[in-house]
Amino acid sequence: MLCQNCKKNEATTHIKHVINGEATENHFCHSCAESLGVGGFFDDFSLNLPGIFSSFFGDSVFSLGERQLDRCEKCGSCFDDIIKTGKVGCADCYEKFYSKLLPSIQRIHGKAKHQGKIPEIHGVKVAAKEKTTEEKIADLQKEMQKAIEEQNFERAAVIRDEIKKLKEAE
Amino acid sequence: MSWYNTLGEHGDIVLSTRVRLARNLEDFPFPVRLDRDGKKQVAECVKEALSDYTETELNFIDMEELSRNDAVSLAEKHLISPEFAYDSTGRALLQSDDEEVSIMLCEEDHIRIQVILPGLSQKEAFEKAEKIDKAIEEKLNYAFSEKLGYLTQCPTNLGTGMRASVMLHLPALVRKGAMRRLSATVAKLGLTLRGCYSEGVEAAGDVFLLSNQVTLGISEEAALQNLGSIAKQIIAEEKQARAVVISDSEFIDKIYRAKGILQSAYKLTSKELVGLTSLVLMGAEEKIIDVPMDKLSSMNILLMPATLRKAEGADLSRDERDIVRAKRIREVLG
Repeated sequence: MLCQNCKKNEATTHIKHVINGEATENHFCHSCAESLGVGGFFDDFSLNLPGIFSSFFGDSVFSLGERQLDRCEKCGSCFDDIIKTGKVGCADCYEKFYSKLLPSIQRIHGKAKHQGKIPEIHGVKVAAKEKTTEEKIADLQKEMQKAIEEQNFERAAVIRDEIKKLKEAE
Repeated sequence: MSWYNTLGEHGDIVLSTRVRLARNLEDFPFPVRLDRDGKKQVAECVKEALSDYTETELNFIDMEELSRNDAVSLAEKHLISPEFAYDSTGRALLQSDDEEVSIMLCEEDHIRIQVILPGLSQKEAFEKAEKIDKAIEEKLNYAFSEKLGYLTQCPTNLGTGMRASVMLHLPALVRKGAMRRLSATVAKLGLTLRGCYSEGVEAAGDVFLLSNQVTLGISEEAALQNLGSIAKQIIAEEKQARAVVISDSEFIDKIYRAKGILQSAYKLTSKELVGLTSLVLMGAEEKIIDVPMDKLSSMNILLMPATLRKAEGADLSRDERDIVRAKRIREVLG
C-alpha cells in the first residue's frame, strides 16, 4: 500500500481511529508520518485530534492532509491550528476554511447568516456586488448618454465597448 | 462616573451593564498569529485612528509599562479581562477617566470596545460603544464578511461581535434555590447566567452575570432587547423572592448579624466582605436596616486585594490588608 500523503513510498505507519462510531484509517510512509508528527511509537495520535474544542469542531474530522498541509496563504494557519487552539488565524481563514468551519459555527449560533450592523465601507461594497449585469448596463447607458450630450464622443465610444463586452459575457 | 460608585436604574438589583464589541482589522492576522511587534503595530493604528475622537477623552496605556498590581486592579473593576491583566505582551489599553470606556487592544481580538455603566442601561452602553466603533471604522478597514458579519478570532463571537451583560445581585433567589432553574431557562433563550466571582452557579456575594450567548443571526437591537426583557423578568422574580424571605425572622437575624460583624470586625478577607455586604445591602434595600448603600456597595470593588493595595501601598501583606479592609468598612458604617 502506498503512502496516502506522498503517494510514492510504501506505507509503514497505519493509524485507525473511531469517532462517533465511524472508523477512519490513515496510511503513511515513515518520512511523511514523521513530518506530520505521527510517526513515533510513543506519539499519542489522539492528541492531534480535536481535543478541547472537539465539541465545536466535532463534525470537522478531515484527513490529515486536509487538516495540516492546506494552509491559509495570508497567515499560514492550517485547519489543525484552528482546531487545537479554537482560534482562527485571520480574516482570510474564514474564507479558506469556510466549509470546514461552517458546521461548528452553526452548532454554536444555530444560524450562519449575519444580521445587524454592517461597516460603512462594506455597506458600499455589498451594494456594488449585488448589482446585476442588467443594472450595470443601464448605468453605463446613462453614462454614455451623458458623454454624448457633452460631445465627449471618445468617452462614449469606450463606454459603448464596455456595454458590448457585458452583453457578450451574458 | 465609575459604575461602582453610582446606583443606576434598578440599582437595588442591577449593579452594572456592560457592552463589548469585538473587532479586527482586515490587514493584520488575528492576535494569535501576531508577535509582539505586530501587536504593537495594531495598537498604534487604533490609537492613531482615535487620536481626534472628541466624544470622550481616551488615555493610552501601554500594558507592558503598567505594574501587575495596577493591571489586576483594572480587572477587579471589570474594566479589562483577567487574561488581559496577566499577559501584557504587546498589548495596550485606551481608557476614559470616568472608567466608562475601555478599549482593549490585542486581547483575544485586535479591538475590544467596552462600555460599562451603572444600573440597567444596555441601550446607552451600546450607543456609546457604537460611536467609538464608527470613529474607528472611518479610518480603518474592519475584517467583515456578508455571511459571517464581523470576523473574530474565536467563532463564538462572529456576527455582531457584541457581548452585552448585566451584573445582577440576587441574594433572595439564591436562598430560594432558584438559580439552577433560572440558568437552564435563560440558556434556552440564547443567554447565559453565571456566577460573577466564581465559576458555576454558586457565586460569592450572590452576584451573577446575565449575557447574550448567540451573536450570529441576531441583530444588536434584538439581542439587547432580549437581554433587557429577561433581566427585567429576573429582577421581578428577585423582588418577589425578597418579599418572602424578609418575613422570615431567621433571615432578618442574619442581616443584623452581618451588619454587626462588618461594624466591629478587626480583620476581613475580601471573600468574607462580599458575602456579608450582600446580606447587609439587601437588608438596606428592603428597609430593614439603614446603611449608606452606595458607599458600602462600592467598597466591594474598592477593597478588593489589588485595588486596596494600589490605594494603600504596594507592600501591604495579606494580613495587613485584611486589617485595613475591616477598618475602612467600620468607617463607612460609622
